[in-house]
This record gives sequence, C-alpha cells and structure tokens, in this order.
Amino acid sequence: MSAAIELLFTGISAEADKFLFGASTVALVRVADELIIFDTGPYAYRPILQGRLRRAGIDPGAVTKVVLSHLHWDNAANADLFSNADILVHERELNAAEAASGRDWAIPEYTARALRKLHLRPVAGEIEIAADVRIVELPGHTPGSIGLIVGRQLLAGDAVGSAKDAVAERIASCAGDEEAGTASLKKAVAISEIIYPGHDRPFRVRPTIAYIADYELRIRLFVDPSGQDEELHFGAAAAKSFATWPGN
Amino acid sequence: MQVDLLIPGLPAKADHFLFGICSLMLLRDGKRTILFDTGPYRVRPMLVEALAAHGLAPEQIDTVFVSHLHWDHIENIDLFRHAEILVPRLEFEYAAAIRPSDWGTPPYAREMLHGMRIALLDEREQEIFPGVRTIPLPGHSVGLQGLVVKAEDGDLVLASDALWSARDAVRGHPDVAFFDPEKGRQSLERALGAGAVYYPGHDRPFTLRDGRVTYLAQYTYQLRFSFQPDGRDIRTMISTEDGPQAALTAGDI
Repeated sequence: MSAAIELLFTGISAEADKFLFGASTVALVRVADELIIFDTGPYAYRPILQGRLRRAGIDPGAVTKVVLSHLHWDNAANADLFSNADILVHERELNAAEAASGRDWAIPEYTARALRKLHLRPVAGEIEIAADVRIVELPGHTPGSIGLIVGRQLLAGDAVGSAKDAVAERIASCAGDEEAGTASLKKAVAISEIIYPGHDRPFRVRPTIAYIADYELRIRLFVDPSGQDEELHFGAAAAKSFATWPGN
Repeated sequence: MQVDLLIPGLPAKADHFLFGICSLMLLRDGKRTILFDTGPYRVRPMLVEALAAHGLAPEQIDTVFVSHLHWDHIENIDLFRHAEILVPRLEFEYAAAIRPSDWGTPPYAREMLHGMRIALLDEREQEIFPGVRTIPLPGHSVGLQGLVVKAEDGDLVLASDALWSARDAVRGHPDVAFFDPEKGRQSLERALGAGAVYYPGHDRPFTLRDGRVTYLAQYTYQLRFSFQPDGRDIRTMISTEDGPQAALTAGDI
C-alpha cells in the first residue's frame, strides 16, 4: 500500500493588521501500519482538530508518529493529544527553542518544557520514518525546520509558506536565516511534484505552479448584541476567489 | 484603581479556528501594575504594543490576574515570568487533571505556569488591592473569578467569560457555560448585579440600561487573503467604527 496524504487543516494564506492569523496546515499520512500526523496547529485548532480526527475515524491514541515541522506557536500546540506517538522534532529546533526560552517572537517559553513530557524523539539527518516517507531538512524559516516527503509529495511546513513563496523563489516569513531559507525553498521545489505549504493550499509545481485544492472559511460575529450574527464567507476556488457578506 | 482597556474582546467564531481574542485590561493605582488576563498567542504583538502605548514593557507588570486557565487567557503568561501570578485555587488544582472532554484548559497548563510565583485565590469575595475585590463566577470553567473595581460612577465588573459577550446580558443566558451550565447562569446574574460597567470576556466593555447595550470601545481589524500565487489579494475589514450599524466592508476585490 502506498502512502496517502489527507489534509486535516488546509493552511490559509491570510494576514491581519494586528493579530497573528496562524492558520497552518495539518496533515495525516496513512502508510502500512503507521498513522503519522504532520504538524498539530495552534491551540486555537484544538476542538476542531479533535472533531476532524473523529470524523476521519482516527483515534488520537492510535497515531504512531507526530512530525513537527518546527516549534512555532501555530504548529506544535496540540502534540500532547497524541499520547502514544513518538514526537519527531529536529534536534537543532529543540535546542533553539530551549535556548530561546521566551525571547523568540514565535516560540512560547513553555513549548520545549511541555514537549519534554511527551515521547519526544529528536531527529537529525534525512531519515526514512516509514516506507516511502522521509524527513527532509529545510532550515531557514527556523534553524531546525523539516518537511516530510511522501513519494513525490512534500509536506513543507513554513519552508514553503505559500504558493506565492514558490513563485517569488523566496519565503516571505523568514524568522531566521534568509539565505538558508531560499536554498531550502529551491530544494523543496526541486524534489517535489506537489507541495503542501505551511500556510496555503497544496499546489502542483510543474509545468507551472497551480493549486490543486480549494478552501472555504466562515467567520461569524456580531456588532449588535440584540441582532443577528453577521457571516463573512471566504472562498478560494481558483476561478472565483471571493469574500462575501450578507446582502452583498 | 485606574482601569484601561488594552484589547477589547472580539465576539467572533470561525469554522477553521477559535479566535480566542479576549478582553485584556491594565489596572494601576501608583503602587501596583496589574494585567487582567494575558490573551491567546495570536494577540501577543498587540498586547506588547498596547502596553507600550501606556509606557510599559512586559517586565513592568508586577501582577497578573488570571481569571481562569483556558488557553486563550494564559498563552502569553510567559511574558510575565517575573510577576506575581494570581490564579483561582480551583482552576489551579483542576489543571493537574483536566476532564477529557475539556478542550479549553491545556493539559499542560501547569507546565506553562511552572517555576512562576503563584498566589492562589480561594473561592470567595476578598479585597486583594484597595478598591479591588475578587468575585467567584464559576460555570464557564470550574473556578473562574472576576474582579470588581470600585468607581465613582458605578463599579466596574471585569467578568471574563462568565459574561462572554453583551449578548449574554441581553438574553439573560450565558452563551458558553460548558463546564457547569447551572452555575454559569447564576454567575451571569451575579456578574450583572455586581456593578454598572461590564467588561465581558469576548466583547467590548458596555453599560446596560433597560436592557439596551451601550458599547464603550471600538475596534477595527484589516484582513488580507492571498488567494492566487501571483500576488492578487482580497482585503477586508471588520470594524465597529463606521457608525451604529454593522460595518463589515469589503474592498479591493
């Protein structure tokens, strides 16, 4: 049986002027007798992630491995849901998180301490973790950023933040070493047919960069507590990207 | 005690993630500099900027009052490792072994607080600073507590999620009292009876007269979505500043 990637969360390429969006990609890889989760999202995903796992028929206790692309707040906050899994993090990333200890803008001080309570397995090098599933080193966005290549499909984490990054041949969000980030982006594009970016929909690399999935996002809020909710509806279907409100 | 709003709560929900943007307040009386809740990670830059706008660095906060241990109220606690952290005792004890169905309290909440100077608050009203008393408001979570701050024109009720939004006050029913709905109803009533100006967990501060809400703060957020790899973006705005009606506008589509 060959490995298959299922998206639990499609990353959203969005920014707000004041708050951090953090809508990162979370994927499930089924291969032989392994269940692998790639990234776990921000804590803000938690009940939705639990619901999506349930609907996918996945018992979190049956997940065998969790691969964390890096330790930013929007990637590593739900690793503890997978209590029986080995948590795979690049050793450079773990060292950087521990050294940062509250001084990194994107890694909370408590991240490494909370991870140490789990079955943490620091990794180095490009090891095969299941048949046809291999860790790829992609430093730059952070010192220990890694991806996971499944056949010719790459779960890239923020080494490829978005399809826009791939077109521009540089990553817009480079917290660390920009030169290394650009080299990792080129490496990612060279080895992949399909890339699952950290904060965008998956796309085909050749002949031209083209999305292969869509998403919809609904936001409800009210400004009049006596009235109805307003609903904002965003869609990414390639031919008809849209943002709508009631009455528009 | 002077109360300044640092970030107004946002009563927004999405199908892809929880917003978690809760009301954060600064309390100062010349002796103590107290932060009420720390917010979700996504507001970390906003929080640091809002403190700076009041001439403060995070290191100058000497006390953090944590209303309860849900993720969206404690994710920035690590900015204040030097401060005294006031936590409801019931919340702290519960965090050692949370209910499996509770997705609000991180199972690693104790790790988040590890090594910090923590003072536990018993479940009773008590004056903790001059003109500031605790008010137990359980139901949304096991041991949530708010603060009541004495003020000349009517006391301020910092209710956190016992009063999730102004809509709870209009409907007389708590929206998210998932830990203990019955206690949640009692706590909502208790919060609304405790003063004249309300600071909800996830909405702007407001006053209430004959069931009518008057908001005391505004917000505007710009959002930008990149739907195409070539750089064409959709810009949108969520704002309360364009008048009395809902002001949700789309531009540059």
